[in-house]
Amino acid sequence: MKLQCVSLWLLGTMLILCFVDSRSLRKCLISTDMHHVEESFQEIKRAIQAKDIFPNVTILSTLETLQSIKPLDVCCVTKNLLAFYVDRVFKDHQEPHPQILRKISSIANSFLYMQKTLRQCQEQRQCHCRQEATNVTRVIHDNYDQLEARSAAIKSLGELDVFLAWIDKNHEVTSSA
Amino acid sequence: MVLEEVWTSRFMWFVYALIPCLCTGEVAVLPAPQNLSVLSTNMKHLLVWSPVIVPGETVCYSVEYQGEYESLYMSHIWIPSSWCSLTEGPECDVTDDITATVPYSLRVRATLGSQTSAWSILKHPFNRNSTILTPPGMEITKDGLHLVIKLEDLGPQFEFLVAYWRREPGAEERVKMVRSGSIPVHLETMEPWAAYCVKAQTFVKAIGRYSAFSQTECVEVQGEAIPLALALFAFVGFMLILVVVPLFIWKMGRLLQYSCCPVVVLPDTLKITNSPQKLISCGREEVHPCTMAVMSSEEIFRVWIS
Repeated sequence: MKLQCVSLWLLGTMLILCFVDSRSLRKCLISTDMHHVEESFQEIKRAIQAKDIFPNVTILSTLETLQSIKPLDVCCVTKNLLAFYVDRVFKDHQEPHPQILRKISSIANSFLYMQKTLRQCQEQRQCHCRQEATNVTRVIHDNYDQLEARSAAIKSLGELDVFLAWIDKNHEVTSSA
Repeated sequence: MVLEEVWTSRFMWFVYALIPCLCTGEVAVLPAPQNLSVLSTNMKHLLVWSPVIVPGETVCYSVEYQGEYESLYMSHIWIPSSWCSLTEGPECDVTDDITATVPYSLRVRATLGSQTSAWSILKHPFNRNSTILTPPGMEITKDGLHLVIKLEDLGPQFEFLVAYWRREPGAEERVKMVRSGSIPVHLETMEPWAAYCVKAQTFVKAIGRYSAFSQTECVEVQGEAIPLALALFAFVGFMLILVVVPLFIWKMGRLLQYSCCPVVVLPDTLKITNSPQKLISCGREEVHPCTMAVMSSEEIFRVWIS
């Protein structure tokens, strides 16, 4: 009986801690101007997606796959996907048009800021990557590697709205406009 | 002869080496702009520099920028400014270029015809979180008993924190977040004959900073005229009632008294004095017509009544 009580108490405490932790994670990116990032993407979405020559292939997987990520894994997946875009996608894309280049620069620099904010916010907290989160990230990298770098970069840029919508949902960022 | 040939060939080599520079026309003969700095207030960023003076000529300038991302991952990429690809004045509004809260490098060069100067780079990269935030302008109005505030429109990046309280000891300060300026916002329904004070500050979510509070403004609410007149009228009416009603009661009392229980008073003309009167009595006893009797006034009256 005592053992059962202790187990239940431990489980309850863990659940409360997870809930508090995930909720506090949600406030990490709250100072980011997500509305501006989304607006910047919307202005170039059509031009970017028109250059995608592999419409039947996806790199970020579907929105439902991202939606299945548990609250405990949100921090890790956010960190990994931001690094994916900053370290690979934006670097592999060579944009000749100044208007589109300005918008991509705006998004890239905003992602850099989000990485810094997430890092500072998580200094005191743990942002461990569990196996499930690592698996999701690995799948995305594998999908990216299956295509030639420039084509993969264009496709990933075109799927930015999927990532931005997922961030909105999981980090409860309210737009400033 | 051999020496002459060597010098000639070297001279020609030198001339040939200069040809590319002469043909492109992009010779940096113009001085580069100096003293670059960014003036930033309320998230409006202005890059300024000392003008390049060429007498009788109009010098144009080009501005390019590079965010921290570009400087870290692709340092060769410089992006032309949205509004200042070729501008005349020694300033450039780079607000639309600085769109993330990271350090930005900025560079300027002068152009005059086919001549261009070298690039002049801003000494210290600019981060928009160093912008100066000023207290917002606000307009406090009374709409009857409603306290209404209208704030300065500073753009979509600005929110406002409005603090207001009743001006009396121990009054509680209330706070309201206003998402955008230029639209009147109702704060409080005030009580008559009370004073209320208001102050406001801006908040820029993108950089996580607040401005200082504005100067406090107070307004006083007068009571309404109609209730005062009503109070006066009621007072006068009450006073009238206090006077009129007792008077009326007294008058009614007197009237009732006269009606029910009148007091008989002999008029003066019927009063007979003690001096003898010569009257003829016309009672049942025959009296000689020429008999005269002396009667008292009461006897006379009794005879008169009968």
